[in-house]
Amino acid sequence: MSSQASRLKVIKLGELLQRSIWDVDEERHIEVLKQEGLRVKALILLCPMGCYSLAGDKLIMSYEGCVECGTCRVLSGSDQIRWEYPKSGRGIQYRYM
Amino acid sequence: MNVTSKFDIIVVGAGPAGCASAYLLAKAGFKVLVLERGRGAGSKELWGGKAYAQPLREVWPELDKEAPIHRWVSKERFSLVWGERALTIEYKLGRKVAFTTYLTELVNWMARKAENAGAIIVDEVRVDEIVVKEGRVLGVKSGGDTVYADAVIDAEGVNRLLLEKLGLVEKLNPDHIALGVKEVLSLNPNLIEERFMLGKDEGLAWFVTGDVTLGLPGGGFIYTMRDSISIGLVLPIGPAAKAAEAGLLKEHVSSLVEAFRLHPYFRNLWREADVIEYGGRMTIEAGLKLMPRKLYMNGLLVVGDAAGFLVNTGYTIRGVDTAVTSGKLAAEALIEAFNNGGPTEENLKSYEEKVKKSYIYRELKNHSSIGDVMSDPFFFQKLPQVAIRAASKLFEADYEEPKLIRSFLDAAREEDVSSLKIIYKLGRVVGKL
Amino acid sequence: MRIAVGIKWVPNTQAVRFDPETGTLIRKGIPSIVNPHDLPAIEMALRLRDAVGGEVIAFTMAPPPAVKGLELALGMGVDRAILITDRVFAGADTLATSYVLANAISKVEREYGKVDLVVFGQETIDSSTAHIPGQVASWLDWPYVYYVKDIQVLGDGRIRVVRELEDYIEEYEIELPAVLGIAVRALKPRPVSLYNKLRAKLNKDTIVVWGNSELKLDPRCVGLKGSPTIVAKTIDMPEVPRKKEVYKPRDPRDAARWIVSKIVEDEKLRELLVKKLWGG
Ligand SMILES: Cc1cc2nc3c(=O)[nH]c(=O)nc-3n(C[C@H](O)[C@H](O)[C@H](O)COP(=O)(O)OP(=O)(O)OC[C@H]3O[C@@H](n4cnc5c(N)ncnc54)[C@H](O)[C@@H]3O)c2cc1C
Ligand SMILES: Cc1cc2nc3c(=O)[nH]c(=O)nc-3n(C[C@H](O)[C@H](O)[C@H](O)COP(=O)(O)OP(=O)(O)OC[C@H]3O[C@@H](n4cnc5c(N)ncnc54)[C@H](O)[C@@H]3O)c2cc1C
Ligand code: SF4
Repeated sequence: MSSQASRLKVIKLGELLQRSIWDVDEERHIEVLKQEGLRVKALILLCPMGCYSLAGDKLIMSYEGCVECGTCRVLSGSDQIRWEYPKSGRGIQYRYM
Repeated sequence: MNVTSKFDIIVVGAGPAGCASAYLLAKAGFKVLVLERGRGAGSKELWGGKAYAQPLREVWPELDKEAPIHRWVSKERFSLVWGERALTIEYKLGRKVAFTTYLTELVNWMARKAENAGAIIVDEVRVDEIVVKEGRVLGVKSGGDTVYADAVIDAEGVNRLLLEKLGLVEKLNPDHIALGVKEVLSLNPNLIEERFMLGKDEGLAWFVTGDVTLGLPGGGFIYTMRDSISIGLVLPIGPAAKAAEAGLLKEHVSSLVEAFRLHPYFRNLWREADVIEYGGRMTIEAGLKLMPRKLYMNGLLVVGDAAGFLVNTGYTIRGVDTAVTSGKLAAEALIEAFNNGGPTEENLKSYEEKVKKSYIYRELKNHSSIGDVMSDPFFFQKLPQVAIRAASKLFEADYEEPKLIRSFLDAAREEDVSSLKIIYKLGRVVGKL
Repeated sequence: MRIAVGIKWVPNTQAVRFDPETGTLIRKGIPSIVNPHDLPAIEMALRLRDAVGGEVIAFTMAPPPAVKGLELALGMGVDRAILITDRVFAGADTLATSYVLANAISKVEREYGKVDLVVFGQETIDSSTAHIPGQVASWLDWPYVYYVKDIQVLGDGRIRVVRELEDYIEEYEIELPAVLGIAVRALKPRPVSLYNKLRAKLNKDTIVVWGNSELKLDPRCVGLKGSPTIVAKTIDMPEVPRKKEVYKPRDPRDAARWIVSKIVEDEKLRELLVKKLWGG
């Protein structure tokens, strides 16, 4: 029976993100304002949804997969990151948490 | 009533704290408006999985019958894992103390209770500012719209954008905050009951420490739900960020959670289970340190996580019952204040007094030094290694089994830690747990 | 001006996942949302109302939970909302859906007065037929323009609409009443506002519910019975694992050759393309 098959395989982050649901806003709610002084390594490894990544030396923030946890906000200054909650109930839509 | 009419009370945030306040105040006949940024109450909530029932019953006596309870916790387990080895302790409870459920569901239920009691719940609306004039809170603002009330209850949770803006609290310190990262694994209830040796409606709460966090402060949790299992890791953000910068943490946190799911000691419990949801949320590590300078001001009360009311004992996180209790105390204080001429600063003082007399504050004080343990790498690296090594001497002896004390002393020596240090540290930690 | 805007309550298809174990789509527990392509239509209607006055009425044919979607429209500033819901409407194809919607418009006219304009989204994310707006226009026998990016009210009972196509722009002057399909991303939808949402909560009659006892349509023309469409065959396309290769030739013709050679050499990819283009 297929439902009995083992699922003991590593799921990559990109695939894990497919398991959750967002209603993504057109407008970004988080924005990197200034990269200097940002704790880049920590942001990349700790943002649970992998929203932060490097393109060369430039820190890229993809707000689409953000779950609004606030970790990056705690790790940064308000002059480095603009951080807001999405409007109109958009963003992550948890169901079984 | 129209949109510019004044409410008696505005509650910001339909979490456990906000819903408890709103429910009691609406039931007492006040005009209550609850503003929630999420789509439906609960859609932004994530927790581990276990709520203590008694404090909730004090607000909703019908809890056991009506609330979306998945399983009553009948077993508590603790495991120390290191490498291939693991040491587990289990306790079977004798009565219904706590239950497991999805917080998304529980909060949705709480919000419906408040709504049925007469509170107006407006979702999909983000509050941008608490409006203050001359030291008195007048209402809240969202976009260009302001709604007025005699009193505002701030129940915005741990990420306190509004309180920071108001200047009532400082920006969060990463050392006082932890990140929870979680997976929900769907599994047939029969398999859950068989594998965890549970009866129908019985649940298990499991705390895991050791190298599931790669030796970083923090730990793992496992909760059995009705037809799923919640697993995840909680990592204090300060030490984790430092480890990332020092190159000690090389992988993304999601890989740690995946390694936990696939850990040889645990994985067969849920080998067929599909990951149906993945996410993260912040929680409080050191509650007292988050407490605002004042829990109230003229026309404002702060409840729940926003006030730092979360008891983190190092092995359990109790935030929902404390949030509900603080919401209840705030409602009681407000009702008294309204009977005494209004929610002035003077009249709201009783809220802080009520909190200080309650179990929340005692518990916070009791467990306040757990932060020292949580930030001491010793407890997450050396100690588990010594314990596991000692256990391996006891249980993996081919011929001769050493005495308990001998195995411990040898393990300590081989791990290059003084046994006195261990005893001293353990003595301290036992006092703190 | 009285403007009606049709919205559809759709499963958030972004979240519909393929289960490789069972070979089916996992739809369980997927919450529904307002079809994202309808938000620009709502925005368009609101802008017209704000400019020339009048009212905007949102309507949807859907099961009762779609009230959440109507609340969102009200939160954006729509004046009233109509939920068209009835067991007999269930199982409808686009023909039966548009028949009900067109009759709902007629009832709106009877209840609230003349409707000048009906706007729809371009298409839905769950079916994407883009049939509904055109069919509603046919039932009503009103003019219809599709892929609209901009509307100007001319004031003499006429409007000018702008369609922006791939390499040219068309402008039409049409007489009201009319039906329009608004292009995807034509306008950025405004967020839900506190006042609008609160107003909708405080006035319970901003949302009305119509079933077939109100619309009084022949049960043979609605729902499953009124739906001549049959699904002859569905083919689930297998999931194609993505591969990444970068080739940067100076001459674009080399790039073309390279792509063709990739397709020719990769047997799996070849099979997949053949299947996709010619159904196997
Ligand atoms: C990983 C993890 C595991 C946990 N495990 C447990 C556990 O097993 N047991 C337990 O008892 N507790 C646990 N907790 C803690 C518990 O979840 C919280 O303590 C509890 O949810 C706090 O309730 P609250 O009402 O104060 O705040 P929250 O639950 O955070 O609610 C705040 C609400 O306000 C809304 N909001 C915020 N800002 C705005 C705004 N500006 N405008 C409008 N709305 C706003 C939010 O959307 C949210 O709905 C855990 C937490 C985490 C992160
Ligand atoms: C072959 C086929 C068979 C089908 N069989 C069934 C079936 O058995 N059961 C079933 O439930 N569905 C069925 N459907 C789906 C259903 O017919 C369509 O989803 C529905 O008619 C709307 O069509 P659409 O989603 O393609 O909308 P489109 O025409 O792509 O939508 C364009 C715009 O019309 C408006 N609109 C669309 N639907 C509504 C609505 N309900 N209320 C108000 N405004 C709306 C929106 O503004 C939207 O942006 C079938 C569809 C097809 C193509
Ligand atoms: S808020 Fe959380 S999920 Fe969103 S980007 Fe920051 S760390 Fe990532």
